[in-house]
Amino acid sequence: MFEPFVDVVPSFFGWLNQGPLTLTIFLHTVIILPMFWIYKQEKARIEREG
Amino acid sequence: MAKRSVWSDNRFWQRSAAWVTGFASILLIWLTFDTSAQISMGTDADLQNGVTKRVPAPTVINYKITYEMDTTRGHEVPVIGEKEMFFGRDDWSEEEAAELLHLGKLGSQAKNCMNCHTLLGNGAYYAPDLTKAWLDPAWGPEGSLQSMTGKNTKEEAMAEFLQHPSQYPTHARMMPDLGITADEAQGLVAFLKHMSSIDTNGFPRNFGKIKGAVHGK
Repeated sequence: MFEPFVDVVPSFFGWLNQGPLTLTIFLHTVIILPMFWIYKQEKARIEREG
Repeated sequence: MAKRSVWSDNRFWQRSAAWVTGFASILLIWLTFDTSAQISMGTDADLQNGVTKRVPAPTVINYKITYEMDTTRGHEVPVIGEKEMFFGRDDWSEEEAAELLHLGKLGSQAKNCMNCHTLLGNGAYYAPDLTKAWLDPAWGPEGSLQSMTGKNTKEEAMAEFLQHPSQYPTHARMMPDLGITADEAQGLVAFLKHMSSIDTNGFPRNFGKIKGAVHGK
């Protein structure tokens, strides 16, 4: 599932591009997780206003 | 009054979109600078000290280049070996090599090689891919293309072919005579040799299947 990092010049993007799994985990971390946080904040705001 | 849902609330979508757009912009700017570092050309000192760069210095034309299977990376990589004669010399200076490569690059653009060939993924597939043409065993000591031109070295054979392509039957669709001069041909061969030393992550994928292309196979 996880392959050793073997790129010529190691970089964050090289790691990111190793395969679909690393990309999926990364995009979920940076897009989906903050959306949960935004969702909770908005829910609290609507309840407060409502 | 019906209970308001977060999903139908504009502010939730606005904030999400702002987050994704902002983050993606930062990521793309970072990626731009990261790529510049990755593709920057190495120096002559890197070559002498055995420092591996994705794009080696122009003086790589002084060295023997082979194509070896890298089992860890799962594809072939160009390996820069010991010194090798290139048009009778193995002491091309940084300036001379850069100048020769520049002439070759301008020549490749002036003659529009990409109209038929592919260079580093850009161009057409009407004629063979030239990305690793230098490593093609057909131009090597026992290759059919080298013997066809009657020359004794790979670079001279390639230069001879480039000057009189319509004289040699090489491909189902023969290359036309483009009026390439002896100097331009030398530059073009240097350009091709340097190109073959660029680590392209195994591109073109099918090149390694040519008999003899990958060291000893």
